[in-house]
Amino acid sequence: MTLGGYRVDNEAPHINVTHLSVAYRDQRILKDVSMTVPGGRVLAVIGPSGCGKSTLLRVFNRLVDRVSGVHIKGQVQVGNFEVIGDHVDLVELRQKVGMVFQHPNPFPFSVFDNVAYGPRLQGVKNSNRLRLLVENSLKQASLWDEVRGKLRRPASSLSGGQQQRLCIARALAVSPQVLLMDEPTSALDPLSTAKIEELVLALKGRYTVILVTHNLQQAARVSDFTAFFREGHLVELGPTKEVFTTPRRSATEEFLTGRYE
Amino acid sequence: MKGTTWHRLAVVGSVLTIAVFGLLLGDLVWQGLPQVSLGFLWKTPSELSSLGGIGPELLNTLVMVGAASAITIPLGLAAAILRIEYGARPGFLLVFDRMRYTLLSLPTVVVGLMIYEWVIAGMRWPLSVGSGIIALAVVNWPFIVDVSVAALSGVPDSFREASLALGATKYLTLLRVVLPSALSALVSGVGMAIARLMGESAVLIFTAGINVSRHWGWSAPGETLAVHLWYLRTESVAPHADAQAAATGVVLLLLVGLVLYLTQKLAHWLKPMDT
Repeated sequence: MTLGGYRVDNEAPHINVTHLSVAYRDQRILKDVSMTVPGGRVLAVIGPSGCGKSTLLRVFNRLVDRVSGVHIKGQVQVGNFEVIGDHVDLVELRQKVGMVFQHPNPFPFSVFDNVAYGPRLQGVKNSNRLRLLVENSLKQASLWDEVRGKLRRPASSLSGGQQQRLCIARALAVSPQVLLMDEPTSALDPLSTAKIEELVLALKGRYTVILVTHNLQQAARVSDFTAFFREGHLVELGPTKEVFTTPRRSATEEFLTGRYE
Repeated sequence: MKGTTWHRLAVVGSVLTIAVFGLLLGDLVWQGLPQVSLGFLWKTPSELSSLGGIGPELLNTLVMVGAASAITIPLGLAAAILRIEYGARPGFLLVFDRMRYTLLSLPTVVVGLMIYEWVIAGMRWPLSVGSGIIALAVVNWPFIVDVSVAALSGVPDSFREASLALGATKYLTLLRVVLPSALSALVSGVGMAIARLMGESAVLIFTAGINVSRHWGWSAPGETLAVHLWYLRTESVAPHADAQAAATGVVLLLLVGLVLYLTQKLAHWLKPMDT
């Protein structure tokens, strides 16, 4: 698959997927998917409900393991890190590959403790270092100006959009290289959605971002590449502009023009 | 129209319930409370002309309920953790839940009989405070499992996912997110289990016996407040049995109230920051 003249960023790792198949018991969810995501870019994953988008995302951090009876075949590499296999260090993988969920899910702790959760897991105890990490992460998630001086307040006192940015800050606090976003704005109002989209654009370059979305305009606005999935197959992957203006497959065109649900 | 009729019925029902409950409680407190004094809480019971006290019963209640809770809280919580956090195999879950429901619905008098067979007739333990503790623990265990299961399943799965996605192991997720989030519900549930245990009598009659003398041993028989109450209203020939029973009832009621109040307070204080 050609990816045009895009330079592969060195800091944020590229992601390589080779012949990936995922099944829950006898139900096949992903069927022989192969693709490459260049480092530091934003890939939007679109497709009808039940096409395997969310499962794909959960393969990248192996959260898919929580489902009983799941079978994974094929290879996934994040940089040089092998993701699939029985002896993968999941803690190391999940520190590299962060995730933001569909519904904001802050812990029932304070704003500070939410962001500090990951660093504390890694053994950071020094309170100055923690404070610095929390501040930096909140700044990166463009939330700092709204919560400074209120770090001891419950995370639940924030608005939905702020909670989602808090969850992004929490994910960034463990310094991941990849950020997985599972329809992060589907539960938010338009203004909060715009803020998250701005944030994704700002994170571009430093992180490889994979964004699953139902919102086609969002995919067009923020992503460099778009992958269209249908019934577990990767139908098409290419630069977003090309996929949206001159799709190579008729199925993609049908979906984009609303003729396929 | 129909709605208001139902509403009126509900109001009448509530008022009736409160009235009946208030009358019963008021009568008990009216009769019992004047008898309760520090001396009554300390002295041993008397079958003679004096009123006596409930010192040994109060002590036995605290010791037996305390020890049985100390045994069952960690065991019950551990079983619930196994069920909710680690029980992925459907077969295991089925067996676990069936056993839980069976034990929950077993009449405590039957549990008393079983403990009598195993511990006293089988293992030759004496009819004693120790045997009573074992019996109370068996009665309490499924309840603690039940409240723990409820508390742990009340923790949204999205918390677990978020924690795992941040690189926490299952164990650290349990320790740092799930248990702190469930603690409040756990404490309030455990409080109810303890309060219920304080009123337990059937299981203790066969296992801990009825003995009113003061002692500090595990291997001697001893009765709790609830058993004493049962004794006073069935066997006692003491001239003051009515007054003694009312006063014992009031003390038991106050004790249960105190346990519930304190655990609810603690639960409120431990509440996670989401409300």
